[in-house]
Amino acid sequence: MSKEAKSKGKILVDFPTNVVKSIFRNPLPSSDRGRAATSFTNFFLHIQPVRVSRQALRPTYTMGLGLISFFLFVILTVTGILLMFYYVPSTTQAYGRMLDLRSSVAFGVILRNMHRWSAHAMVATVFLHMCRVFFTGSYKPPREFNWNIGVALFLLTLLSSFTGYLLPWDQLAFWAITVGTSIAGYAPFIGKELKFILLGDATVGQEALLRFYVLHVVVLPLVLSLFVAVHFWRIRKDGGLAKPEEAELKPKPAATLAPAEGEPGFVVSTNITAMEVDPVRRFSIQGLVRGPFVKVGKLEEDTVFSWPNLLIAELFVLLLTIVGVLVVSWFFNAPLEQPVNVMHPPNPAKAPWYFLGLQEQVSYSAFWGGIGVPGIELLLLMLLPYFDRSKAGVGRWFARQRILANSLFLVFVIANVILIVIGTFFRGANWQFVSPF
Amino acid sequence: MRLALAVVSLLVLIGSGVVVYDQFHSRWEDDQRAYFHQALEQAKTPAERASLEGRQPKIEQTIVTAFGDARIDRCESCHIAVDDPRFASAKQPLHSHSYSTAMGDVFRNGRWERRHKFSDFGCTTCHDGQGRGLQVADAHGEDSFWPDPMPGYTIQDGWNREIASHLHGAEYMQANCAQCHSAKDFAGTPLVTRGRELFFKTGCFGCHRIEGLSAGTIGPDLTEVGKERKLDYLWGHIVNPRAYTPTSVMPQFKLSDDDKKALVIFLKSRRGATLSVSTADQFRLNASTTAPVPESVAVVAASAAPAATPAARGEQLIQGYACLSCHKLGDRDGGISPDLTNEGLLRDQPWLMDHFVNPRSRVPDSNMPAFGLPQADFEAMAAYLLTRSTPPAAATPAETFKNECARCHGEKGDGRGVNAIYLDPAPRDLTKAEFMNTKQEARFLASIQNGVPGTSMPPWGKVLNDQQIKGVFDYVWATFVREPHRQLKPRKVPEQNPVPMSADSARRGETIFLQRCTGCHGRKADGRGPNSVDISPRPRNLRNSAFIQGAPDRRLFESVMYGVEGTAMPSWMDYGLSQNDVGDIVNYIRSLNKAGK
Repeated sequence: MSKEAKSKGKILVDFPTNVVKSIFRNPLPSSDRGRAATSFTNFFLHIQPVRVSRQALRPTYTMGLGLISFFLFVILTVTGILLMFYYVPSTTQAYGRMLDLRSSVAFGVILRNMHRWSAHAMVATVFLHMCRVFFTGSYKPPREFNWNIGVALFLLTLLSSFTGYLLPWDQLAFWAITVGTSIAGYAPFIGKELKFILLGDATVGQEALLRFYVLHVVVLPLVLSLFVAVHFWRIRKDGGLAKPEEAELKPKPAATLAPAEGEPGFVVSTNITAMEVDPVRRFSIQGLVRGPFVKVGKLEEDTVFSWPNLLIAELFVLLLTIVGVLVVSWFFNAPLEQPVNVMHPPNPAKAPWYFLGLQEQVSYSAFWGGIGVPGIELLLLMLLPYFDRSKAGVGRWFARQRILANSLFLVFVIANVILIVIGTFFRGANWQFVSPF
Repeated sequence: MRLALAVVSLLVLIGSGVVVYDQFHSRWEDDQRAYFHQALEQAKTPAERASLEGRQPKIEQTIVTAFGDARIDRCESCHIAVDDPRFASAKQPLHSHSYSTAMGDVFRNGRWERRHKFSDFGCTTCHDGQGRGLQVADAHGEDSFWPDPMPGYTIQDGWNREIASHLHGAEYMQANCAQCHSAKDFAGTPLVTRGRELFFKTGCFGCHRIEGLSAGTIGPDLTEVGKERKLDYLWGHIVNPRAYTPTSVMPQFKLSDDDKKALVIFLKSRRGATLSVSTADQFRLNASTTAPVPESVAVVAASAAPAATPAARGEQLIQGYACLSCHKLGDRDGGISPDLTNEGLLRDQPWLMDHFVNPRSRVPDSNMPAFGLPQADFEAMAAYLLTRSTPPAAATPAETFKNECARCHGEKGDGRGVNAIYLDPAPRDLTKAEFMNTKQEARFLASIQNGVPGTSMPPWGKVLNDQQIKGVFDYVWATFVREPHRQLKPRKVPEQNPVPMSADSARRGETIFLQRCTGCHGRKADGRGPNSVDISPRPRNLRNSAFIQGAPDRRLFESVMYGVEGTAMPSWMDYGLSQNDVGDIVNYIRSLNKAGK
């Protein structure tokens, strides 16, 4: 009896700790070894490297754009799932559901605002992330494939945003999708069929709404998640974020670069686990891993432990993203125009802003503006890392060696931004040029 | 770094806090609590008191399925006292809805009974607004995107202040009463009835179609205009059609504010199928009457009492009906269309009849609708107009110009008379000396004497004698042209087209026309090329057969070869067209306007 009571008491004494221990296999780390082990043994942290270069942590280098895009995607997923509880993809009900969200659903307004503004923001940050990667030359080998995954992610983001645009079933949605899908209709050979498959009908209607809904809530997010996973995995496998070759760094005294034997604290990352596994096996595992990977030891001075440096940075970006989205969603309501009226197109009917550059081009030439030029641009973007193979200027903003490539890309970016600005602000009724001032 | 992290975390906390707090604070809950509180004070029985004490605010809603699409009205979440007679003098939102015998409410056994019970009719069936909304701006339809703001009550942001000031008042709701009470003379909707009357009286029916009422084709179909447009647009468009549609040909009718209001309410009540008729019934109705005779015919026929002679009936029709909301006759002047005072001297019977049946057969760009009345009515009206044949008393040239010419050509002779914008081709600007001084005097005198076919310029030969015509012309010259007569240089222009008319020649002419002329005269040669909008006077409509057939070859040749001074027509001789080219063009234009076409 007393024994039992004693053991029960022991259970009670241990109670919170043993649960915590069963979840977190390491205590809060206080040593380098502990920091390494924490990253290694946690499911959510093991996607992170154990050590990360200082360069990758510098806010001015990445501006956190990739992370912001990812966090926006998370916000979109969460708010999107909550919105799904209220939404019905039916032409007779969808608009009423929007009105309900606006008036009588708890947190309805803020959820819809967050979802809408995050979606717009994600399109922007993904594009800016792409610009960052280009201007720092980070798409160069060995990261060519990851660049292409990124291009695919950009397209998926556009598509997700575009498919979501129809769901409120108001005038804005209806006519933007009508314009957007007719741009798809200009594709050679498959255009008509593509448009028909997208809409399930000759015009935007119930079938289109259902299709866009399924694409928006199931297909595209799944594919997007998969691509995000591959994108992240490849970052690790391609040796972390791109950084300048050592030779390009300002020359340092040879003594600090040379690995000093037996120096305390030299044992890092892989070595930690290596000490815990069989050396032979370790060798064989490393034999599988073909370079390039983070060069441990060599650049020790330029790397820091992920725990806590990287995690704090990530947390900071996450919080900043949430604050940004919250503030914008609090002050600006997502638009909801009048219910769909098929007989009354607004003049001009405009696509979502990120397609207005396309629409502007289409106004000059349907095929070349809508399919030809964007297609060529896309092809060039995807082939780019296979053409541009010089290793110079990687990992630095606007490196002098890359002035040609950067200038060309800058022209591409500015041209598209100008087209979007013209399409958004300078086009009035009948797509006439108007001054917004 | 840690500080920044702490600050941002705090911001997230505050942000989430604000969002959460906001959820637990809505105005409709306050309104309901205020109601419970006040009702408790007035409660008489303990049971009533107990039931009120137990009540908690909740969303009150009525789902109306009997009228059109199902409506969800949550208005009573704020207006919770709407059916509680004790709150008759309370302030909104706790004011109770008044009772009225006019609405069919009955006072029985010491209490009122509503004819339109809120549980059956909801609120938005009569009041419009957005029934689902729980915030004032949403619910009353103040959001400028909402198609049905509460009529007479809610003014949306984008509405012109000046127009909006006319749009207040419960009478605007008559448009909604008429959704079910669609009988023509329903006593509860006097303004709809008045608006319908005006629709016929001011001639709206001539241009606009409303299913079952009228069959006009010049203006847009107004069958569902109440669904498509809001009050501000309807009012604004009647006041000034060109404020919304710069190219509109709709006349600016002279209406009093009361008449405008009645018309707006009538138009707002045009929402296609009425709520009291189910979709299936409506379909059956449409299918059974293949070509319904528009009510307009019957209305016009009934408007005149039986008259002894056709001319007397014609007078009744013209005086009593749509004509004078545009035309001038004696003292009455619609300010839009030509003066009919001396019509009997200006036009003959065939002209009048052709023009009644289809105004465009005589003046191809006329804005007068074909009213589609019975032949007998047209004949009666023509008979009456032909009696208007007393020449005006002799007057000085200045007075004659003022009385007869200034209405179109303007008091300053600049072609900008009161009704000039409705005339196509526009009245000649008599102050343009370049033009006036390069044409033969005989041509001007002939234009006055015989009129200009295909335009609104009538032949004045029976109103004015030759001497008077000369007098007016001299007056115009001295007052508006104000230049000495120039000696015209003889121009080398053939009297007859030297190129014989043939299909080949017309085809060559078409090729040249498409290369040189379409910028202004348009690909169809109808005078509406892309540049035509910016040109004054507008390029000639070369499909105006009456005009082209009346113009001799010599004039066409001269206009093309030497240009027309004072207009945008250049001298094509200078741009390399030979006389034969011009001959081909003239043949092409003539081929477009063959007689009998």
